[in-house]
Amino acid sequence: MLKYEPEIRTFISDQYLFGEGRPLRQDESLLGAGIIDSTGVLELISFLEERFGIKIDDDELLPENLDTIGNICGFLDRKLS
Amino acid sequence: MTTPPRLVHHFLENSALRFPSKTAIIHGQKRLPYDQINRLSNQLAHCLIKAGVGPGDRVALLCESSAEYVSCFYGILKAGAVAVPINVELKPDSLAGLLDTLDAEILIASSRFELTVRPFDPSRFRLQRILVIHPATDSPGLSGPFKSLDDELPYQPDGDPDLDIRPDSCAAIIFTSGSEGKPKGVMLSHINLVENTKAIVESLTLTADDVQMVVLPFYYVMGMSLLNTHFSVGGTLVINNQFAYTAAVLKQMAEERVTGFSGVPSTYAHLLFKAPLARYRDRLPALRYCSQAGGHMPQFFKLELLKVLPPQTRLIVMYGATEASARLTVLPPESLKAKIDSIGRPIAGVTLDVLSPEGQALRAGQVGELVARGKNIMLGYYRDDAATRRVLDRQGYHTGDLGYYDEDGFYYVTGRKDDQVKIDGRRVNPREIEDVILESGQAMECLIFAVPDAYGGQKLAGLAVPVGDASDTAERVVEYCRGRLPKYQVPRPLLLVDELPKNSNGKLDRIAARRLFEERLRRGGDKGSVGIRKC
Repeated sequence: MLKYEPEIRTFISDQYLFGEGRPLRQDESLLGAGIIDSTGVLELISFLEERFGIKIDDDELLPENLDTIGNICGFLDRKLS
Repeated sequence: MTTPPRLVHHFLENSALRFPSKTAIIHGQKRLPYDQINRLSNQLAHCLIKAGVGPGDRVALLCESSAEYVSCFYGILKAGAVAVPINVELKPDSLAGLLDTLDAEILIASSRFELTVRPFDPSRFRLQRILVIHPATDSPGLSGPFKSLDDELPYQPDGDPDLDIRPDSCAAIIFTSGSEGKPKGVMLSHINLVENTKAIVESLTLTADDVQMVVLPFYYVMGMSLLNTHFSVGGTLVINNQFAYTAAVLKQMAEERVTGFSGVPSTYAHLLFKAPLARYRDRLPALRYCSQAGGHMPQFFKLELLKVLPPQTRLIVMYGATEASARLTVLPPESLKAKIDSIGRPIAGVTLDVLSPEGQALRAGQVGELVARGKNIMLGYYRDDAATRRVLDRQGYHTGDLGYYDEDGFYYVTGRKDDQVKIDGRRVNPREIEDVILESGQAMECLIFAVPDAYGGQKLAGLAVPVGDASDTAERVVEYCRGRLPKYQVPRPLLLVDELPKNSNGKLDRIAARRLFEERLRRGGDKGSVGIRKC
């Protein structure tokens, strides 16, 4: 389990999976699998900014930062280090 | 030797002859040339024909935008069948409802939807087969009516089946939700699509050198139009289904030297407010134009885009309808500033009349319903003669949009037939207020409508999606409106929400928005409700 992973999983599960209990792989594309849409990405950004006190720049709106649980955790690691 | 296209798949076949090794589709790491896509689509056509698909049979396509989608789409047409692209955002119940209505022979689903379609009983929908593209290797083998397309295709010949297909036969059914009632299937013939494609190519001066970034889905008529227009000239499509990651989209546009970008108003809202667009001003030297359709885009957005887009990039406003195969009018970019609210002039082959409720043609400046004629107007709604009769008659296709043309022949849309409201006895177009709110720079999207006031009349109220998180956004917007609008036009209350309801084509849904607003008021400030922020 990656650092921050439980919190990210809880957010995604509560907001988008509605407790469906669907297994979500660490490397599964959130957009590609239809779990979140473009508005969802904006909500995810707001959540990360508020919860972790970071500012996500427009240049950082990349799938390698935000599109999988693993990528989000890695991105947070880099932003918070 | 190519011949003038009479059928939609002739666009692919002609380009495969003229530019066999030229890249037609770029998607992720894949780059497919025209010849390969043509051969794949021929194989699919043979596969369908062997499965018993005949002229007029429907083949449903549940697949995100991809190279596979493209070869399936043209393959279905080559088999003489009717392609029915399905909205990939449909939930299983809605999908089942659509399949019930459709009476299709075959459903083709991409691997993303394998788990969705597996529980289906094909006989319930009278489906002969369900073909899955790239099924998961760890899933149990497909059997009975379920087949793997990957197993079926390699044994099929890759030559053109060259069937005798009538140009006036139905080529595609596009389901359009509208804002009320159940979805209607718009039946478009080969002639409809071919003629509209040719007119769009002419109006945008597309050539084989054009490289289009595609962020709109192919199941949406504007996405389909991007596909057909670029395939007709031998251009290249760059498919990116991850528009939410705007920085990645812009980066790819720079790398692939994209010449054209197309979006609906919300696409441009994202580009303006949640993308490093301004920082790419010097990195998109090939970008020839950005086109916008899918509803009214506020002046403020257009002017902002002109400031941040590369200097050589032209902004092209367009107007159309699914029932018109996509396009009805285009505003020449050189007229944009002078006619900023205009939808432009009819494209080649389209006649646009402004009619009174009695069906009389109106003069310049008089507002009436926009009624269109041309070879691009649909055959009708699928198995819904009553709905067809309501919009199609001798005068043409009744768009339901109200508008006028000016002395220079430029057309304007002022609202929908049923949108205009009366406040204090005065007519108000909600879009005027929405424009002011967006101009405030505080809201990404908003919808204004009339609600009952305490005195038995109506007042204006609305929903808005804030740009930032400031807690006083609603008050600031209202303050801005107060400074620019007469009192009766200032919406109160204006509720902030995370998202506005949209129909399946991504257009704002005013009726659903009003329902959401009323529900929000009934809850009396319940901040825990889903999607609602604060008053």
